[in-house]
Amino acid sequence: MKARVLEIVSNVLNVPVDRVSEDSSPDTIKEWDSLMHMNLVLTLEEEFGVHFSDEQIMEMLSVGQIIRTVLELVP
Amino acid sequence: MMGNLSLSDIQRVLQTADVGQLPKVRISVLRNITIESLAPYLRYAGLEAGLDVVLRFGDFDNVVQESLGAQPGLLDETTDVVLVFEYLEALSPTLSLRYAEHSPEQVQTEVYRVQELIHTVLEAIRRQTPALILWHGFEPPLHPALGIVDSNGAGGQGSTIAALNDFARTEIAALGGAYFVDLERCRGRVGEMGFYDFRYWHIGRAPYARDGLREIAAEEFKFIRALRGRNRKCLVLDCDNVLWGGIVGEDGLAGIKLSAGYPGSSYRDFQMELLQLYHRGVILTLNSKNNESDVWEVFDHHPDMVLRREHLAAWRINWQDKVSNLRELATELNIGLDSMVFADDSEFEVNMVRELLPEVQVIHLPVKDATQSRRDLAASGLFDTLVLSNEDRKRGALYQAEGERERLRTQLRDLDTYYASLAMKLDIHLSDEFTVPRIAQLTQKTNQFNMTTRRYTDSDIRRFVTEERADVICLHLSDRFGDSGLVGVAILTYHETSATFDTLLMSCRVLGRKVEDAFLDACLQLARTRGYVQAIGQFIPTAKNGLAADFFARHGFRRVEDRDEVQRFAFDLTDHVPQAPSFFEHIKIDFVPNPPSPPDPKSVR
Repeated sequence: MKARVLEIVSNVLNVPVDRVSEDSSPDTIKEWDSLMHMNLVLTLEEEFGVHFSDEQIMEMLSVGQIIRTVLELVP
Repeated sequence: MMGNLSLSDIQRVLQTADVGQLPKVRISVLRNITIESLAPYLRYAGLEAGLDVVLRFGDFDNVVQESLGAQPGLLDETTDVVLVFEYLEALSPTLSLRYAEHSPEQVQTEVYRVQELIHTVLEAIRRQTPALILWHGFEPPLHPALGIVDSNGAGGQGSTIAALNDFARTEIAALGGAYFVDLERCRGRVGEMGFYDFRYWHIGRAPYARDGLREIAAEEFKFIRALRGRNRKCLVLDCDNVLWGGIVGEDGLAGIKLSAGYPGSSYRDFQMELLQLYHRGVILTLNSKNNESDVWEVFDHHPDMVLRREHLAAWRINWQDKVSNLRELATELNIGLDSMVFADDSEFEVNMVRELLPEVQVIHLPVKDATQSRRDLAASGLFDTLVLSNEDRKRGALYQAEGERERLRTQLRDLDTYYASLAMKLDIHLSDEFTVPRIAQLTQKTNQFNMTTRRYTDSDIRRFVTEERADVICLHLSDRFGDSGLVGVAILTYHETSATFDTLLMSCRVLGRKVEDAFLDACLQLARTRGYVQAIGQFIPTAKNGLAADFFARHGFRRVEDRDEVQRFAFDLTDHVPQAPSFFEHIKIDFVPNPPSPPDPKSVR
């Protein structure tokens, strides 16, 4: 699960996977702007078959937080 | 196709795709919403069409300013396509979220404002760029402001917005080179909840969800494919389990499934869709592993066949592999493999074609989903064209005649006997109002026998027609197999004592029959009748018109000095004796003299 999230973040933001960790956030990856965040959310939803609420979307501003949110939704 | 792929699949493909060699299509986006997420879908659709999509987004909500040229480089000569998104909720709260509180007069005032904006934006874009403009229509409300009575009588929100869309369609038609993208249709295919993403509408002014974006990009690419000549022209059909259910060689004429009721109705409806394509000018052919007589028995004797032999331009019904058959069909019809679509129920055949002839587009129609075949074919959009001229609507028949001619050619040894047996009739005359669109279309589409490859619009051609010192001459051809329609164009421009071939082209469909020789003679005759003493032929070499390079030289023109990249050839009209080849059944030349008097060559000398 964690590895898949890292891979998706790396793919969508088009940065090498070794630059992505649980601490990664829009502050540490300059490619991660609000548009990219949207693509990231859409891709995660598709990959895991989940639907985030608007509040969750606004909170998912680090890879760690993304993993926690996905874990809440995927049993 | 794109329909089955997730966004991450698409992104993976895009990251590894090598687009360096592909021709670019430059798309600029004017929008009052966040629509950047359309990019991967557009790029992917581009890849499928063999095009490298280069995208430029205008600033958020700057549509009017940018249409007027506020952002240098966004709209110019190099732009190929302009996408315009004016999302109604952002453009006009009065007509969307706050409709009910406004009086009919206030609504009308707002309608005028929006009409003015549509008009201004479209006109202004056209002044910046000759690009294809795709205007995205307003989406009529799914839950209208006045509830269930909204549709009763005038004044409802739905009818107000529908009328605005009609206004946009009229403006677009008047502008030329612009088209209406029907987002209501896209939304209908996807459904409301698949089309919109309300979270991102509120978070970031991005109204459309993934499925919506994918559908919008696919719809836009139907236009872009057609613009770039990437649309398909010929459909190659398997027979068993595609045109009918079952296998005719085993089940027999009475045993195959083809009828008005289930289960034969799926196949009958599929055939009706084929017939629709035929009438849009798509060339239909067969590629079937069968005994030929079994297939014809179905065509000739099955009471529920919709498709008839006369709708087919060519066929390969044999036990040879389907890849060789496809190659042969392309040669016989004189079209490229990249113009062909192959439809088959067999996974094996489909994969073999995908593997060995990647330029052929494949539609897989599994037997278990036969009820869905008609829809899948209709939804492909592969055969869409930007215009449907009368010629297109006859094209299926034209190519059928081409197939018959080819079969005849193999029977006759001597070429002149062959030409004579065609009973070709030429009708050469000056252009009129009715022929202008077809002439413009030919200048845009003809690549091979085109001496100068100058691309003209309807209005350019109209200018030549009304211009005193120019003639637009066109050629109609018919023969014993049918009417080929308007297939040749020459534009002569006159200067002092010379007549210059600004344009001389022939549709590649009719090449190899000496028609071009007779046409050149008629043009020279006209120039001579008008009193000119010299004809100038021009040739501008391109990657595709090599076969025409020596045309003027072969017809008694002598090479004179080049001008820039234009090769020039001169012909002395004073001793020109036109001699059309004798094998034409007849050549009718009808040059109604233009009102202006021809110049007197002596006075110029």
